[in-house]
Amino acid sequence: MFCLSELEDTVRVPPSDLNLPLEVAIKKALQKLFLDKVLSIGLCVAIYGIKSIEGGFVLPGDGAATYKVVFRIVVFRPFVGEVIAAKFKESDSNGLRLTLGFFEDVYVPAPLIPTPNRCEPDPYNRNQMRWVWKYGDDEFIIDDSCQQIKFRVENISYPPVPTERAEDAKPFAPMVVTGTIDDDGLGPVSWWEACAPISDDED
Amino acid sequence: RTRKEKLRVQYPSLAMSGVGEEEENAAELKIGDEFLKAKCLMNCEVSLILEHKYEQLQLVSEDPMNQVSQVFEKSLQYVKRFSRYKNPDAVRQVREILSRHQLTEFELCVLGNLCPETAEEAVAMVPSLKTKGRAHSDEAIEKMLNDLSLVKRFE
Repeated sequence: MFCLSELEDTVRVPPSDLNLPLEVAIKKALQKLFLDKVLSIGLCVAIYGIKSIEGGFVLPGDGAATYKVVFRIVVFRPFVGEVIAAKFKESDSNGLRLTLGFFEDVYVPAPLIPTPNRCEPDPYNRNQMRWVWKYGDDEFIIDDSCQQIKFRVENISYPPVPTERAEDAKPFAPMVVTGTIDDDGLGPVSWWEACAPISDDED
Repeated sequence: RTRKEKLRVQYPSLAMSGVGEEEENAAELKIGDEFLKAKCLMNCEVSLILEHKYEQLQLVSEDPMNQVSQVFEKSLQYVKRFSRYKNPDAVRQVREILSRHQLTEFELCVLGNLCPETAEEAVAMVPSLKTKGRAHSDEAIEKMLNDLSLVKRFE
């Protein structure tokens, strides 16, 4: 979910921005530094506001002014155990990949897809595999026709920045969320909408 | 291990407290002090924040298609899509209602985001509601969910 976090940092305003009002220049520098970056507290999606600005000294040899700024940011910070709504992005033999739009590294590995299931080549997309859940006599396909897929966060990892990467490697993901859809109320929302509530007597 | 044991609730260690210097934001967003003291934000609250910031961002960013505004726009798209409440008064009421029920920040936001309709659904999403020592009876949870559904009806 999203959280508000207070931070303090040293911000450098380049000479080209020194004609802007101070708050605007600092906000611009903060956005460049933090927006879309993964910090230990989460993925920064917006600068909420500035609480205080101090300094403005120009260090020797540098044309920029340096300020000490206390500010708050809005971060996306998944919690283990949290249920989050997402959309389908792609799938392969390892499992599903879901996306939130601004964050695309949610993976549901094969063991966390409800069983019995099977993985078959996608007839609409030659390069993709798709997953199908078999429940009784019905079969439910997981693909991008699913409007909303709810998953529960099982794990969050922060891989270290690689020092060397192959030319065609996938873009580096600084935060990777592993989720499960194998539980009540999880998975594509359409799976549950058609359900009638079960009364206690039936058990 | 049971699901309850697996649920590890962590709280952001960076707390923020206190109101004050950001009068400009508080006044324009018209959201009460309780909101500013919050550590966790519901999608509907983030939606109001980002919409408000949207105009400001357009002024500062020279290149509208750059990466900075892309993540902002996609986040805005996501929270707009997955917010149950759009009206700022409704959003404030939701936080107020949920705050009356001895919930942690995390629980409050999950419930506000997912809007379960029954106590059973609520407990499935937030199993910590039923951990030992906490007095959340099914009736209390149902009452809270009923109060929430009234807000939606009058939006």
